[in-house]
Amino acid sequence: MARVLVQLKIRLLLNALRSSRRARVSFIFSSLFAVLVAAGTFVVLALLRGLSAPVDLTATIFTLFAFGWLILPVMLFGLDGTLDPATLAMYPVRTRTLAAGLLAASATGAWPAANVIGLLGVTVGLARGAFGELIAVVAVVLQVLFCIAMARCLTTGLAGLLRSRRGKDFAAFLVVPLFALYELFAQTVPRLAAEGEITARAFAGVDRWLQWLPPGLAAHAIQDASTGHPGAALLRLVLLAAVIVVLGALWIHFLSRALVTADTTTQSSAVRGAPLPFARGGLRGTVAGRFLVYQRRDPASVVRWCIIAVVMGAASIAALRTPHYAVGLVLSSVLGAGMVSLLHANSIGFTGPSFWLEAASLTSARDLRSYLAGRNVALAVIALPLMLTVSGALAVASGHPVYAIWAADIDVAAIGAALAMSSIFTVNLAYPGQQRAGSPVPGNADGYSGQAIGSSLGSILGVAVLTLPVTLTMLATDSLATPARVPLLTVLAVACGAALAWGGTRTAATAARLQLPELNQIAAQSTF
Amino acid sequence: MAESAIAVRGLRKSFGAKEAVAGIDLDIAAGSFAGLVGPNGAGKTTSLSMMTGLLRPDAGQIVINGLDVWADPVAAKAIIGVVPAEARLFERLSGAELLEYAGRLRGMPAAEARSRAAQLLDVLDLTGDGHRLVADYSTGMRKKAALGCSLIHNPAVLFLDEPLEGVDPVSADVIRRLLTRYVGSGSTVLFSSHVMELVEQVCDHVSIISEGRIVATGTTAEVRGGKTLQQAFIDLVGSKAREGDELSWLGSSSS
Repeated sequence: MARVLVQLKIRLLLNALRSSRRARVSFIFSSLFAVLVAAGTFVVLALLRGLSAPVDLTATIFTLFAFGWLILPVMLFGLDGTLDPATLAMYPVRTRTLAAGLLAASATGAWPAANVIGLLGVTVGLARGAFGELIAVVAVVLQVLFCIAMARCLTTGLAGLLRSRRGKDFAAFLVVPLFALYELFAQTVPRLAAEGEITARAFAGVDRWLQWLPPGLAAHAIQDASTGHPGAALLRLVLLAAVIVVLGALWIHFLSRALVTADTTTQSSAVRGAPLPFARGGLRGTVAGRFLVYQRRDPASVVRWCIIAVVMGAASIAALRTPHYAVGLVLSSVLGAGMVSLLHANSIGFTGPSFWLEAASLTSARDLRSYLAGRNVALAVIALPLMLTVSGALAVASGHPVYAIWAADIDVAAIGAALAMSSIFTVNLAYPGQQRAGSPVPGNADGYSGQAIGSSLGSILGVAVLTLPVTLTMLATDSLATPARVPLLTVLAVACGAALAWGGTRTAATAARLQLPELNQIAAQSTF
Repeated sequence: MAESAIAVRGLRKSFGAKEAVAGIDLDIAAGSFAGLVGPNGAGKTTSLSMMTGLLRPDAGQIVINGLDVWADPVAAKAIIGVVPAEARLFERLSGAELLEYAGRLRGMPAAEARSRAAQLLDVLDLTGDGHRLVADYSTGMRKKAALGCSLIHNPAVLFLDEPLEGVDPVSADVIRRLLTRYVGSGSTVLFSSHVMELVEQVCDHVSIISEGRIVATGTTAEVRGGKTLQQAFIDLVGSKAREGDELSWLGSSSS
């Protein structure tokens, strides 16, 4: 069964690859990114050799990877293209056999391979001697198996929650605290390290409790094997293997329930009978009304806005109480707007097959300008107050509330840039979305990771670059008196933001007019 | 060509090496209730998608009430309504909001869109569910809501892809009566279906498509040629089923 499912997974990946040139480019892009991650991780782990606390750092990095496995497949890029167990429910296969097959299928692909190769950096950075190297290889394999089993267990466990639409809505919100934890860790630790506040020495002893977590067990097994404690090393690996077995058993339990539990999406939910908003806004208002209703009623949309607030906080938290608080506030605004763009850079693909209703009605460049402008109005109606509030709160937390004014200027310009970038990516780098089994929020369809990563990186970089005129003017006018500086920067920020949003909308609409049927076909391939 | 409500010439579409539509010519007179029937994969959905401006053809011309769909898509789209095969809808809107949205997308004033939405919901027997989210609708309710969306701007020509697939008999009857009334007013319907009995019952014009080509077209009586439409269809398309002598193991309970 494992062999059949691995072959099926490979066949699905190859078929996705053959489906279009875009998918091929996307696959190459995604594979290159995986190679970079593998190489980067390998080098980082290898460089730990000779540092004062390599095992502590290894345990921390292993734990970070485990968090990544927990969050990323559910949340961001759908790195772990997995098979939907529901499609296999009809076959007379024991759940245990099915679970082993699904685990093997999950471990197949560029990203699991990148994980194994990257983590093998411990063979240089931590392991010593032939036995140490051997244990290191086994520990890395077990660490990756642990990550996969944990991720599968969580997503299949969630599937129980996902039996009804309301359950799905609720489950989507579970992503927010998980993401907040991950983001806090990922944003603050590297920056504090760069600023010299976290050194390798600072990690000494940090794994006093990490060592008992499964990733810590793997790291310490390598350390023990390399320092002449083979019994302790083997014991730790046995413990780690036992954890994987327990996770596997839990997963089998969840799986056997999920396979035979009917979808109970029968609960009816009434909404108040008010008309759609922006009744007098023409086509732009019509589209803005629909997008705004979705931002409120679609849990995935609400989760996206929560994530933007979390990213803004995490981006600046390390710098808030330091002399570099202003840099932290600017970074928070730019990254927050970058996330606005990133999370809305595939609006048509994520609209899904229902886009036919809009595609059947819209045709001219004017229609499409109104469509994209309406989308942007809805996003701005939420992004502006949200980002201004978060920026204001961060400025107050930094002890310099007056800086809320400068942060607000950056917010306004950056939101304009985000609307421009997301409009352009929505049209020019559209890709089908997929609601994976067990995942409460949609990700990219298999074979389109490259496009998702491309538009994500492009969003962050694009917003940062397009906001530069305001950021640089802010720096250049530092010596100007506040009464003169406030109106100058405010006018510049508003003008810059409005011009960017306007230009981006026009550019995207012109492109959309030429490829509306193709965009409709991409949206139709989405599976939700 | 201008006398036809739907006139198609030399329509072609390939997906890679697979030729899905291999040169279709079709004329449907105004006021017709026309059926497009064919086996799975014959090219029905691809053809209807191209006729409604949702899929770009490789070659050919489609003229709806004198308007070229691909040369003048703005004008052509304004006079057509469409319900795709798996009509996916905006799940987080209520039925009433969905129809209002469809009307406003077509440029109707909000008040008029709301008024027509309420009337359509009533005729489609959805008034009681008008304020429920579409996410909680059954298949039949979704089909009826999609039909409402396609009719709200009173199109001259309506394209329906498998409109009664998965719909219960009661909902099917509601849809059938609404469409009959619509055609009775002089509008045109072209719909695809697998259900020969239904096509025979409601259509005055039938076209049979097989392997991307129209193999028969005309009035229902002409295409039937004195047989049932089901038999005429099988005779034209050709049953590829074999007796299955090599499946000697099938039907045995031994393994």
